[in-house]
Amino acid sequence: MSIKRCLIFCLSLLVMQSLHAAGVNRVFVTNEKSDNITVINSKTLKVETTIPIGDRPRGIHLSPDRSELYVAIGNENVIKVVDPETLKILRQFHAGSDPEDFAVHPNGEIYISNEDAAKASVFNPKTGRKLTEIDVGLEPEGVAISPDGKFVVVTSESSSLLHVIKVPENTIIKNIIVGARPRSAIFNSDGTLVYASSEIGGEIQKVDMKSLKIIDSVKLTSDSAKPKDLRLSKDEKTLYVAGGRANSVFVLDAENMKVLKEIPVGKRVWGLAMNRDKSRLFTTDGVTGTVSVIDTSDNKVIKTIKVGKFPWGVVVDD
Amino acid sequence: MLKHIHDADRHLARLVVIFLFCFSGAALADQHVVRFAYAGKTDTAAYNGVKLGLAEANLQGKFLGYSFAIDAYSPAQAGKLDPTKYVAILSTLDSNGLRALAARINGVAILNLTDKDDALRKECITDMFHIIPSHAMERDAVMQWQKKHPDSRVRATAWDPRFVKYAGRDLNKRYRAKYNKKMDELAWAGWAGARMVADVIVRGTPAEPAQVLDFLKTKLAFDGQKGLDMSFRVTGQLRQPLLLVENGKLLNAEAPVRGVVDPDDYDSLGIAGCSK
Repeated sequence: MSIKRCLIFCLSLLVMQSLHAAGVNRVFVTNEKSDNITVINSKTLKVETTIPIGDRPRGIHLSPDRSELYVAIGNENVIKVVDPETLKILRQFHAGSDPEDFAVHPNGEIYISNEDAAKASVFNPKTGRKLTEIDVGLEPEGVAISPDGKFVVVTSESSSLLHVIKVPENTIIKNIIVGARPRSAIFNSDGTLVYASSEIGGEIQKVDMKSLKIIDSVKLTSDSAKPKDLRLSKDEKTLYVAGGRANSVFVLDAENMKVLKEIPVGKRVWGLAMNRDKSRLFTTDGVTGTVSVIDTSDNKVIKTIKVGKFPWGVVVDD
Repeated sequence: MLKHIHDADRHLARLVVIFLFCFSGAALADQHVVRFAYAGKTDTAAYNGVKLGLAEANLQGKFLGYSFAIDAYSPAQAGKLDPTKYVAILSTLDSNGLRALAARINGVAILNLTDKDDALRKECITDMFHIIPSHAMERDAVMQWQKKHPDSRVRATAWDPRFVKYAGRDLNKRYRAKYNKKMDELAWAGWAGARMVADVIVRGTPAEPAQVLDFLKTKLAFDGQKGLDMSFRVTGQLRQPLLLVENGKLLNAEAPVRGVVDPDDYDSLGIAGCSK
């Protein structure tokens, strides 16, 4: 009798675990100026609810097992931890000065840029303990981590630098000067390449991670393009770039860096996120206050969803 | 006897090693310090801006193996400035002082940080660059705005401590944190001049005046934290948007004024060509 109960209990735990690992089918968006998070159902693409989160939320990311949602609250100097299912704020921890964006390492640790302190900090989100600080350039913003966890890239906006940091030493092994105001960076899946966007001058750079050198770059021709987030398609042959005040997502051939298409979205598009199978790309259109949903099979917008004021970051848990 | 000689040799060898180490250390230190000259008064907002720019250049330079230093010459000492030590000269001298400097110095960039004289631009003085907008640019900015708002009492400026667009908020914060003062347009010009020359060097330009000149004239794409990458036009004037202040309030609009001209037509402000 007790064995049966035990088996049922264990089985349901397993099912719950796999359900959780499968995600809660939600898209989470931080609204920088309405101090809340919009929760969108990733299947119906309808807004489920809005949760107040704190003063100036920006970066938002999931833990590797997707059991926790982390949100950087700039004006409170904390990261708040949210349960993606119950939407309850579980806890928070001090995350250095003016936390803006961050990335979650495969080992669960958080690497965060402290915009007004010229530092990047590393935190254990379970304990809230700061593990180390790394001196970087002026106004660090973007943080990207290689899928194997061996390298972290931090962009220093006002020093026009890409810092390459080796893990677990957490020391800088190379500094690369890039186009003015580098904002975001991403790795490809095998960690051999990094793509980085520079806002002023609208440049996208491709960095070879073996030589730690820029091997290609392109200048987006639209004068108003101030690129920010980047995402790679499933086959990594296409690079999507949020075009800022060009109000469109640029679609580039990732190999030769040529612009193939521009997808018009809302105004001042900064944030990008993809669902798990990369069939959909979500954008945050800051000035319009919307999220645009793009079908990546034909690179067309299939829906525009009204969210809060100045949506900034977006993450998909499906 | 042999032991005695052996000790002496070792002592000598040690001295030689120490001497070489110190000498090479000193030589290396000199090699990597890139020097600017500054000609003008130092108890000014513009020089505060220069110092902030220099500090930020050194933060950036630290990661790339460069360090920057500045030697200041008062207006009275400007005639003694030896250009051979410097990659560029930043100046807050007035237009007469600038002309005098340019007359005796060849082949080194002179950055006019603060003088708005239109004649300086029209003269297209060789190797002179103007960071602050000219009076003509300010007049054109006001004229453009008044085409849309005829009764407006507006003035144009290169910078305002309340400017928060693009990365303006960050720069104003940094200046305020360092000096506990508001950053005005002269401070901005000083900051921009220092950051600009350093930017040329850290992007790989050899620290030689001729190379710096060439980069400033042909390759510059400088982030002045006003939302665009800036370059110089043929008159030596830095192309840039101007901020607009009406009745003491900073407007949420810049010149070139949208709706009157193409907002990216920076040459619609001021003197576009040389008169000589």
